[in-house]
Amino acid sequence: MPRKTLLWKIARHLGAIAGLVLLGGLFSATLVRLAPGFDADERELDPSLSAESVRALRQSRAGEHNVLGFYAAYLRGAMHGDLGTSHALGQPVQTLFRERWPVTARVAGIGLLLAWLLASALAFTACLWRRPGFEIFGITLSGAFLCIPAAVLALLSVILNAPGYLAIAFIVFPRIYRYSRNLLAKAYALPHITAARARGLGEARILAWHVLPVAGPQMIALAGITVSIALGASIPVEALCGLPGIGQLAWQAALSRDLPLLVNLTILVTLVTLLANSGADVMNYMLRPREA
Amino acid sequence: MIGRRAFLRLALCCTLLSLAVISGPALAQSGGELRFCLRSEPKTFDPLLVDDDSSLSIRYLTGGVLMRANRKTQDLEPELAESWTVSKDGKQITFKLRHGVTFSDGSPFSSEDVAFTMQRLMDPALHSSTGDAFRSGSGAVTTKIIAPDQVTIVFPAPIAGLEHLFDQVAIMSAHSPKKEAAVLGPFLVAEYKAGSSVLLRRNPNYWKRDSQGHRLPYIDSIRLDIQSNRDVEMLRFKRGELDLINVIDSDYFDRLAASSPQLAHDAGASLDSDFMWFNQVASAPIPEYKRAWFRSANFRRAISQAINREDLSRVVFNGHAQPAVGPVSPANKFWFNSKLKAEPYRPDAALQRLQAEGFHLQNGTLVDKGGNAVEFSIVTNAGSKPRERMAVMVQEDLGKLGIKVNVVTLDFPSLIERISQKFNYEAAMLGFRNVDLDPNGQMNIWLSSAENHAWNPQQKSPETAWEAEIDRLMRAQASTADPKKRKESFDRVQEIAAEQTPFIYLVNQNALSAVSSAVQGANPGILSPQTFWNAERLTLNPTTRASR
Repeated sequence: MPRKTLLWKIARHLGAIAGLVLLGGLFSATLVRLAPGFDADERELDPSLSAESVRALRQSRAGEHNVLGFYAAYLRGAMHGDLGTSHALGQPVQTLFRERWPVTARVAGIGLLLAWLLASALAFTACLWRRPGFEIFGITLSGAFLCIPAAVLALLSVILNAPGYLAIAFIVFPRIYRYSRNLLAKAYALPHITAARARGLGEARILAWHVLPVAGPQMIALAGITVSIALGASIPVEALCGLPGIGQLAWQAALSRDLPLLVNLTILVTLVTLLANSGADVMNYMLRPREA
Repeated sequence: MIGRRAFLRLALCCTLLSLAVISGPALAQSGGELRFCLRSEPKTFDPLLVDDDSSLSIRYLTGGVLMRANRKTQDLEPELAESWTVSKDGKQITFKLRHGVTFSDGSPFSSEDVAFTMQRLMDPALHSSTGDAFRSGSGAVTTKIIAPDQVTIVFPAPIAGLEHLFDQVAIMSAHSPKKEAAVLGPFLVAEYKAGSSVLLRRNPNYWKRDSQGHRLPYIDSIRLDIQSNRDVEMLRFKRGELDLINVIDSDYFDRLAASSPQLAHDAGASLDSDFMWFNQVASAPIPEYKRAWFRSANFRRAISQAINREDLSRVVFNGHAQPAVGPVSPANKFWFNSKLKAEPYRPDAALQRLQAEGFHLQNGTLVDKGGNAVEFSIVTNAGSKPRERMAVMVQEDLGKLGIKVNVVTLDFPSLIERISQKFNYEAAMLGFRNVDLDPNGQMNIWLSSAENHAWNPQQKSPETAWEAEIDRLMRAQASTADPKKRKESFDRVQEIAAEQTPFIYLVNQNALSAVSSAVQGANPGILSPQTFWNAERLTLNPTTRASR
């Protein structure tokens, strides 16, 4: 039964997400533990600290030497709602996430929306009015933004005093444009669309009834992927633009080898990415035309 | 003839005008918000746990101290303590406190608060770097409340320069429910947006008044934006979004000086120094023949002589640095040993010294007695452009002697791990931010048993005679309260450091800062905090502000 199958699909996705999130967290903890400088603290170079204080400083991270032990303790704490405390910022991870998540959600959300609007508008224009000018403009623009490193776009937004979400929009835009334009071009090249045009169907009808059903599922999958691209882009953008979001937090955590914070950030980003991808997959399944 | 009414009007106008002039900056220019950047997130608002630059800035602006070192004259001046007496043996200090002082929440200030602060500061479980500076021997620190305005603090062993340490101790309230949020400084923390900004508002109960009797500070609030990117900080300063940059690099300084010379301030050589050293740790994973080079005073001295410090100052810092002499900058007026001079650039003398040690040139390459080519790596922190450039210039200078130097840049945690835990390096280049004028602040660098004795830390007993001598001299200067005797001991330490060259001191960077024309009363100095050390007396010019 379709409803039963849908529920089974959702359950399977949730199971896979839970497994991958747990593995992602462990993988992240292992990587951080093995990173050079994991055990070092800048404060050790403070000449005013006594030998006892330096020893206490080193001892404070002793619980993190055994990755498996640390991860088990972390999971135990997480089940009781305690995500640990950031070494670098000295605050509970929950507090940091609560304060910073809205910033990233707003910046990455608006950036993503703008990127989709721009990319879709250009891709549809290029496919509907098959003029070389539109094609060249779209390819040149997306190619240019694809070549510019994310950090440079972030710096440009600082210099021009532009909001950070514009940088994210221009980082994500070329990825969406190139893929969606190819999908639409392929869909428009199908023989039944040529036949529909020959019968005099309007472009809007062709788009709604014949193009979108073909290209739609893959566009929805792309939407899931762009969420993770936008989250990745928010790291340099927030770090350089001084936006106090999750991206800036990830940058600070990486620089200071902040194990509790990095593990939580990995889990959060993995969770959001997998949820977006699985959401797209489930939506595709729901929208898929079924046999009567 | 001027009518009576007209005369009265004229007199009234003159009176008002005179009042406006007399009241000066306090009435005409008070208020407004001063804005500048912190370069990292403050790690704590607890004044006793401060050990990072951002928290230090906040503590300076919010904390009330018993005495303060004047950032221009370097003399101690009374603040919450009207006077103090240090006992002859240097073990105890008695403070006579100021009357009528209250915390920002209105609770009264008394000797109980001083005693409470010292007890908490010296709690061994707190691991406070401020408290560690007071640890001179085993045993507890005791406090005696003699009267509400008089308190004595007794230490288990003498502490040289004891009174100077109180510049860093912000007094906390013993009774206020607001704990560290109740402050005695000119400002209080009003709002903290993690990752974004800290807003400080004027403390309505601040005890200081200006010569006209107006309560300080003049400024209503200070907004400290958290911004680690220096390019962005400079851009925002140029746009008028920031009023101060406390410390700027020489490149930015010159660019600013070219466009707006009145905003760029060079206060001269600072207390900070950049230096390099060789790894002399016995257990370090380096070849034995290299360890032998690094342990040779002649080798180290020759390397020092082969480095052109004048060029480093001129090229890397555009002239905004001075060739360094030793562990104490000439800017430290009392403790600098004026008999010492910076090592002059003498590559010929360096080569002779190396030859005397058995090194010789072979096809343009310097080789040791065993035929090993002289080659080593210098590790330094990535992201510090001046230090990376200095390392490259040292590479070029030593290349002229036939020495091959590899420059390796590492991120800070990796660098710290190598130099303080794994000792997996040959030479390192770093800087020392000296906020303490007193040589006691360098105890953990010079004692051979110390963690920060960078070239060969945590020695069970001194491995060389000169390190034993430095240990003796450092302990001697720390155990007497007589400034003259202390100076003699520390002068000798500086001489030994110059002879043995465990650290090759390179330059003392100048204290460079930027101050907007909207800020009045700023007088940038070399001691931290360079630009806002007199924050309570700074005023903002509303006209300049509006026009920006």
